Parts: sequence; C-alpha cells; structure tokens
Amino acid sequence: MTTRRDLFKIVGGSAVGLLFTPAPWRLIADSALWSENWPGIPRPARGEIRTRFTHCGLCPAGCAVRARCVGEQPVSLAGVEGGLCPFGVAGHHLPYHPARLKQGDRQAAAAAVAAVSEAHGTVALLDLRPGRTASWTYRRAMAALPHGVYLAPEEPAFAVDLAKAKTVLSLGAPLLDGWGRPSRVFAARSGFRLIQAEAVESRTAALADQWLPVRPGAEMALGPAVAAARSDALQSRDREGVPGAETNNAPLAYGAPTGPGSEALQSRDREGAVGAGAILDAPFGHGAAREGAVGAGAILDAPFGHGAAREGSAGAKTNAPLANARGSDVLGRGALRSRDREGAGVAQITGLAQEQIAQMARELRDNGPALILGREMTSEVLAWNVRVGAWGKTVGPREEAPVPHEWRKAAPVTPLPQVADGSLQALIIDESSAGARIPWADIQPKLAPDAVVVLLACARNGYAEHATHLLPTPVYPEALDDLPAPVDAMASEFRLSTPLVPAPEYAVDPVEFVSALAGLDAKDALRRRADAIHRAGRGRLIAYADGKSVPVKDLKPEEFWKALASGAEWIGEESRGPVPRIAPAASPRIAPAAVPGIALAAAPRIAPAASPRIAPAAAPGIAPAAATTPPDAAWPFFLAAAEESGGPLVSPLLSKIYQESRLRLGPHRAALNPHSGFAEGSRAAIETRYGRRIVEVTLDAGVPPGMVLVAGCGAGLEACRVVRI
Amino acid sequence: MMPGRSRMRGKLFFLGGALAALGAGWAGFPRAIYQSRPQPVDFSHKVHAEKAGAKCEDCHAFREDGSFAGIPTLDQCAACHAAPMGTTAAEKRFIDEYVTPHKEPQWRSYARQPENVYFPHAAHVKRAQLKCDKCHGDEGSAGHLRPFEQDRISGYSRDIWGGQGRPAMKMDDCVDCHRRSLGTRAGQRSCLDCHK
Repeated sequence: MTTRRDLFKIVGGSAVGLLFTPAPWRLIADSALWSENWPGIPRPARGEIRTRFTHCGLCPAGCAVRARCVGEQPVSLAGVEGGLCPFGVAGHHLPYHPARLKQGDRQAAAAAVAAVSEAHGTVALLDLRPGRTASWTYRRAMAALPHGVYLAPEEPAFAVDLAKAKTVLSLGAPLLDGWGRPSRVFAARSGFRLIQAEAVESRTAALADQWLPVRPGAEMALGPAVAAARSDALQSRDREGVPGAETNNAPLAYGAPTGPGSEALQSRDREGAVGAGAILDAPFGHGAAREGAVGAGAILDAPFGHGAAREGSAGAKTNAPLANARGSDVLGRGALRSRDREGAGVAQITGLAQEQIAQMARELRDNGPALILGREMTSEVLAWNVRVGAWGKTVGPREEAPVPHEWRKAAPVTPLPQVADGSLQALIIDESSAGARIPWADIQPKLAPDAVVVLLACARNGYAEHATHLLPTPVYPEALDDLPAPVDAMASEFRLSTPLVPAPEYAVDPVEFVSALAGLDAKDALRRRADAIHRAGRGRLIAYADGKSVPVKDLKPEEFWKALASGAEWIGEESRGPVPRIAPAASPRIAPAAVPGIALAAAPRIAPAASPRIAPAAAPGIAPAAATTPPDAAWPFFLAAAEESGGPLVSPLLSKIYQESRLRLGPHRAALNPHSGFAEGSRAAIETRYGRRIVEVTLDAGVPPGMVLVAGCGAGLEACRVVRI
Repeated sequence: MMPGRSRMRGKLFFLGGALAALGAGWAGFPRAIYQSRPQPVDFSHKVHAEKAGAKCEDCHAFREDGSFAGIPTLDQCAACHAAPMGTTAAEKRFIDEYVTPHKEPQWRSYARQPENVYFPHAAHVKRAQLKCDKCHGDEGSAGHLRPFEQDRISGYSRDIWGGQGRPAMKMDDCVDCHRRSLGTRAGQRSCLDCHK
C-alpha cells in the first residue's frame, strides 16, 4: 500500500528530476520575457524605413521637420534647415500623452451653440493663432451666422530681417530661445551685435553680446527712449541740412494721415491736441496723454503712463506695461514728463545709468542697420523701429499669402476689448494650437451670465476650467493645418503641418466643428488656398526632400498641392512699401482696432499696491541693499514667465528630463534668487490675486531679488507673494 | 515491513518520481510550452529554387533604403502566380484564397527578432557577407513549410533556440558570433548597437 511517505518520496524525486530538465529554467526565462511584453509597453514599429517631411505645429515658428518613420509610425523627428527645439524633437510623443483630453460631447456642444444662434444671440469665436487658413474658415463661419463675431489677438503686420541687422536691441524678447524661426535666427546670429535688455539673465541674455539688467517690467521703457534719441539726432541732422533718406522715415510715421512734421507733432503732443487715430509716443506719460483730449481710438504708448487710462476719453487704449488701473504713478505722476527725452526718467525707471542708455542709442545710430525687438512685436515696436531708420532695411511690410477671392466676404477681426461687456451668449475658443494667451479675466466680462463656452483643446491646462463644453482636438502631428509666417520672415509663406499619424476617433477637428455650425463646407479649404496661391503665380516652392526651389508658375496646380502636402514650402516675394502711417485711417492693420491684442496678450497685471516701488534688478553693479528692497509689503515679489512652455502639451519624457536635469523649470517649480531666504528644494506657495500654487523652489543667481519665475504663466508680470509651507 | 525493504521501496518511489519528472521535462514540456500553428500556404522553397531558379534575394529583397523587406508581399507572388503555375492542391488553394481576392497571406515568421532588438539584415548580408543558411539553416531547400511553433508564455518563436541544423538566435549566440568574428572589438560594443 502506498503511504504518505511514498508520496513525499515521489514528489521529492520529481522535484530533483525537474531540476535536470529545461522546464524550470525555461519557465523562468519565459516569465521574464512575458513581463517585458505586458500591455501598455510601447511596441516599436516594424516596416519600411521612410523619411517624411512636414512642419512643426507646436509654435508659430513652424520649423521644417524631417520625420523618420518605420512603416507609418514616426519614430524620430529632426530639423531640416537647422535644428529643431527640444519640444519639436519630442513632438511625436504627444499623441500618446497621458494628460490628453479624450472625451467630449460634440453633439451637445454643437446644440448649445446652435440654440444661442437660433435665438439671435451673439456667437463669438476666439482664435488664438490667427493668420491660418483655419482662421479664414472661422471668419467665414462667423459671417454666415446671424450674429457671429470673430475675435483674435493682434498679428504683426510687419516682418523683421535679422540677416540685415548689425545691431539688435531686444527688449525682453527671447530671441535666442524660441523666438521667430530658430534656424533663421541662429543663421543670422553672427552678423549682428545683440543687446538684451531684460530683468532676468535668461538664455538670450546669457548669449547676448551685452546684457542690460533692467528692473522687472521696465524693458519696454527703453524703446521710446532710444527711438527718441535717434529721432532727435535725425532731426538735428535735418535742421543742419544733412541729407539722408532716413530723416524722412521716422518722424513722419507719427503724423496724422496728412503727415505733419515731427516737430509740429511733438508740439501738438505737448499741447494735448492729439487728433483721432494718432499714436502718442510718450515714454513716461506726457501731459497730453494725461490731460489732453486723446481721441477715440488713440493709443497711449507710455510704458509707465497712467493718465490716458484714467482720464483719457472713451476708446483710448493704454499700452502701458506697468500702467495700473487706479492711475497711481509708478514713479510719481508727471514727474518725468520734462525729463523723458533726456533719459533721466528712463534711467530712473529701468535702473540703468544714463550713460548706458545714451551709449546704446549711439550704438544703434552708428552701427546700423539697427533693429528693436519687443517680447510682443506690436505697433509701438514698429514705431520705434521706424524712428531708428529700420524701415525698409531690417523691418518691412509683409503681405499675407493669397486667399480665394470669395473668402474676402468674411467677418472682420474684432479685438476683444471692443466687445461690449456681457454681450457674448456663446463663445467658441480654439485652443488647439499654441498661440497667444489672453487672461481669462479679460474674457470673462464679455460673457453673458449664462453664456455657453465651448473649448476646443487637447489638454486641460488652459481655459478648460471655464468651459461649459470641452471638446478634445487632434494634437501635433495628427492635425492638418497651415502655419502663418513667423515675424522674422520677410516674405509671405505657406506651409502645411501634415499629419504623420492619424487622429483618433474621439478627436474633434475644430475647423470641421465650426464650419458645420455655420453650414460651411470647409474640408478642402487648404487645397483651395493652395490653388489661389498657385493662380497668383508668384514666389517659389522649396522642397526639403531634394532641396530644389521651383518657381510656382512652372508647376501645375496638382503638383503644387502634392508638393505642399509632402512638406514643401511656398515662399512669396518680399513686399516693399512706404513708411507706414501708424494711424487707423492709413494703416488699418496697425490701427488701434488691432492693438488691444497687445494689452490682452502682454499687458502685465500688476496690483496697484505693488507698482509704486519696484525693486531694482539684481545685476552686477547694483547694490545688494537696494536690490533686496521689497516693492511692497503685501505683494513683495513679481511673478514672471520663465519661458515658453512649448504649447499646451509637452512630451512627458522631455519634461521628466528637463525636471531632472533642471534645464528648464517644471510646472511645479519656481526659480528665486539665492538671497531670497528660501532653501533649494524647499516647498513654497505662490499667491497672486488669481490663486495659489504650491511649488518647489529652485535657486538661480540669474533671477533678480524680488522676482519669481515659473514656467508657462503667461508673458506679463504679476504681483505676488511667496509663502513658506 | 523490514527496514531494508522499506528503504529500497522509498528509493524506488524517489527514482520513479525523478524519472517521471525527467520524462515530462524533456519530452512533455517542449510539446506543452509551444503552440503549433500551420502556415497559411504550403510553400515549397525547394520547388521555387530548383524549378523557378529563384535565389533567396529575389523574393526576400532589400528595399532602396537598405532595409530588409522580409517576407514577400502578395504582389510579388502574384507577379508569377496570377494564374495557377501547377496542378497541386496547394497552388489551387493559394490562387483561390489569396491571389484572386487579393488577400495578403498572414505568414508566420520563424526568425523574427523580439521588439527590443534592432537586427539589420543589410549589415550582416551585404557587409559581413553572411549566407542566409548561416542563421536560417537549410530552410531554402525545404519542400514544405514547418508549422510555426510559438512559446505560449513569451510569445517567441521556437526557432530562437536553434536545433535541427539551425543555429540559435539568442543574445548569447549573437554575442558569441560577434566575438568570434570581430575578436576584441566585439567587447567594445554598446547595448544600443543592437537594442532599441
């Protein structure tokens, strides 16, 4: 009889025997291999290795991209004419981003907007990246609706040519860190001397030939000062009979449409008789700006001005980076009025020595052609460039790529500030592409109390919390879109961001959604635009695959479209035009009507209490005692954007590398000066009047005392406090 | 029971268990661990090589970019087999089920490398001048396609373990071959030379 002991003997024998078979060892190996192939682990694509060309849609630069694909799957992206920024290199990760929106009730959103439209309510569309073919479709759609309004930030109506510049004054513009088209910028870099005026030692400041550490928010004050110095020099030469075409460029640009001389204008300016449509170029708030009859539509170009905002007549637009709503002066109302031209006021505001400013003005004058860049390329930046004689040399007009004639019957571009408060019953926001940022605080007052807000976005980190309907959109490189020419392209351009991977089923195409609301068929809008460009017969087509440049007139329409869809780029001809009159009647695209976008996108939001006392920037040569003086007890810090975040989504892999290497600030990090009293890695709460965010502190000597840098908080300044937790 | 007899009985049980395990491990386990799947068509390399005079690279070609196309697509087959090339049942079935409806046969690859490996055929065939049978054995002269045997747990082909005239294709085998052919230079290679 078999006993229990016998069974144990069998089991023991079996165990020993098994050790001499491949079974246990294979099971271990197989289990390990099985664990390498669990669900969720990415499977590298198999198939033919091909190269495809497209354009990066992550920012307005729209760099040409060479995509290495295995089968239909892009596995690596690289630049074509020059490099590609880190965001672009990791762009093919975005379709798989875990934070991507994947749900949204398209029918409910469409029904809600349709209900508003049928009830004759105002339906508005806010396009954060205007200038695309999609933007034309939106405008056509809004024109087709009974009360449709197309809203968009200002587009620069001019372009700059870095290759022709000898001296570049950058007023806080991230010129070497994602500004314009990086390949073009770096190709031209060796040809110009770069002066970077910025509070923080940014990457551009570190790579500039000269860094001028100004007080936070005071960058733009240098523009009118330098331009005025240049203008005065030109006038002086004019009076002395020194010939020179430049003389005619600058002052006339500020005249009324009839073009009075500069001195006459300045006289009118001082007397407060600025006419309708004129721009008041008053660096620190002229009397006219404060007390005069600034007409409807006038722009107060006063970086630290206050009067017009407080006392100016209706319609005056304040483009004053540090202007505060209450009208209290940054440095004392009117104190600088008589000194602005001499540079004393500029010195006081910026923290720079008068001699430094004078030296800079001389350099722009003597080492031309010069170019002045602002963080936002607004009409006042154009005005300063005109004054320094840059028009026709480093700055010029640029036409938009041709569009089909019938599209011209589209809704006009309406600036958000022109919309009456509480008048929008429905607002559709296209946030699918990286573009301008408009604070919600500027949008919200325009909405009716029960307004429908439909947000088309790929992630939840924008306006999503304010939306009543949230629709997921395709992300780059899933979306087919065209890219408007960047500001450093002197010729008009047309290039497509062609999809490298198909969009998922749940993604809602913003153009399709909006055009369906208006009953438009816009599926072939890009093709029709390409045909219009081809019909115009101007310019040439550059194909990156073979590097050939072919005149458009030598191509058939089908060939032209096929090449564009394969990653080629159409480049038009450079425009030439007279010096623009920066007045509404003469130059609509630089008109006040288009300008409020400046205020929307870039105007900082400084709490009144925080404005009067600005801590000097921490920079070599500035006394530490002064540098640590807090601007205000309640709001002792200025909060500023560290850098562009690369769009609504950044590859998780890239952001992990950045955070671990600290090459860029992560979303939960803030950079402070080492003398700010916080320890490296400590936790703190940043509080603004809009809310609170917990961050981890990174100490950076390039950040001046009194400033806090965080990533992706917008371009302006905001008063804040930093609290230890 | 007597102690000596009892001890002998215990040894027999132990030995029986060990023998059973050895049998199961060497004979039963390989049959159980692999799932046998037939190929969609009974393709004969031998017929194509001898009667049609085809060489390996005629069907298993390199693309223009140097990447290896692997198993030929139906278009390549249909270039000759648009109409039946013989009277065999396999030929008729191939024409009726795949060529006429233009349906791609789902061939099962014996020698597919795992997903984490980058294996360039071009480097081995064109640069190192390796013959196909060095890794694939005498597959090119076989009259029938073997069933594809897939590991039930790992999902890998049985062929990676070698056998039946075929060398193994595990990482150790790659390293061993490279070491023999490249000498000390093989040791200077990094993980990412072969691994994705």
